[in-house]
Amino acid sequence: MNCADWEERIASETESAGLEEHLRECERCREFARELDENRKALAEVTVPAAAFDAVRLRVRSEIEARKRRTAWWTWSAVGAAACAAVLTVSLILPSTKSPAAPKMPHIAANPPKIERTPAYVPVVAKAHRVRHVHSGRLAAKVAPAQQVEPLVVKMLTNDPNVIIIWLVNEKGDEL
Amino acid sequence: MADFRPRAEGAGQSAGLLERAKSGDLEAFDQVMRLHEKQVLTTALRMLGNLQDAQDAAQETFLRLYKSLNRLPDILEIKSWLYRVTVNVCNDMHRDRRRRRSEPWSGPDPVSTLPDPELAWVHQERGQLVEIALKTLPEKERAAVVLRDVQGLSTREVAAILGSSEVTVRSQISVARGKLKKFTDRYLRKRL
Repeated sequence: MNCADWEERIASETESAGLEEHLRECERCREFARELDENRKALAEVTVPAAAFDAVRLRVRSEIEARKRRTAWWTWSAVGAAACAAVLTVSLILPSTKSPAAPKMPHIAANPPKIERTPAYVPVVAKAHRVRHVHSGRLAAKVAPAQQVEPLVVKMLTNDPNVIIIWLVNEKGDEL
Repeated sequence: MADFRPRAEGAGQSAGLLERAKSGDLEAFDQVMRLHEKQVLTTALRMLGNLQDAQDAAQETFLRLYKSLNRLPDILEIKSWLYRVTVNVCNDMHRDRRRRRSEPWSGPDPVSTLPDPELAWVHQERGQLVEIALKTLPEKERAAVVLRDVQGLSTREVAAILGSSEVTVRSQISVARGKLKKFTDRYLRKRL
């Protein structure tokens, strides 16, 4: 085995029988091993100022907090956008699925409507009869005296105490 | 497999910290960073050769750790995981920097506080030379020699981190050390 082979073993830290003995005898390999050791020590000598560690930690924390804020912003934006989309969708879909809206009727109480007969004065137009004037012999309109008719008043109570439906009908049942 | 287990007394405490960090406790994550910052920053500094880039790499490594906290099965994995990610981040940055071209080296600073000025010069110069020589190594050789000689990991542990066999790592370390020696020899012999 020549020195090049020994150097390779020294550099790769391969344990081999006879290496110690060779190093004791060979100045060149001893120098080679010493140089490698010097380089190894120089490599291991790393000095990092304490402020550099603090700076890294600070930067990492700031970045994490900034990312958290960005994530929160995007989350709330997405929630808002989803809510808007949902409202829009519902407002577009609902009218098309529903039957045409019937006019809202007041809710009529379940119990039978209370019907009151209330005398009320209703002016009825007097009926005119064509009559022959006795003295002049001319035709003259005779106005029959106005008849006092008592209309039928129907009151229908609803659930809302402020709303009462009132119909005025005559004896024949026609609405007045 | 390589054993990166923390010593018994620290393991329970670290596991508690990790659990708190996983639940979003930023103070606990800060403590996790403190436990591993030396490992990460010194590896990055040796891999990249300057403090500013090393800090950027350390920051990226810890941010990746934060994102991956819930995927890490336990505290025992963190040390080897951090070495692996630090090496990957540094390799990415090194490639990127090579594309942009770094400024040329201007030579070591001769000022020293060691008693023998000649020895001090050589000592300081060697430190700077190996730093420069490291940058000339292929990334796998550089990573292997940094983990072995700077972090003091065994060949087995280095192999586990780099995903290579022990034989490959041994060979990479041997070749890298040989190149570093040639580089320092060439410069120091010219000077002395």
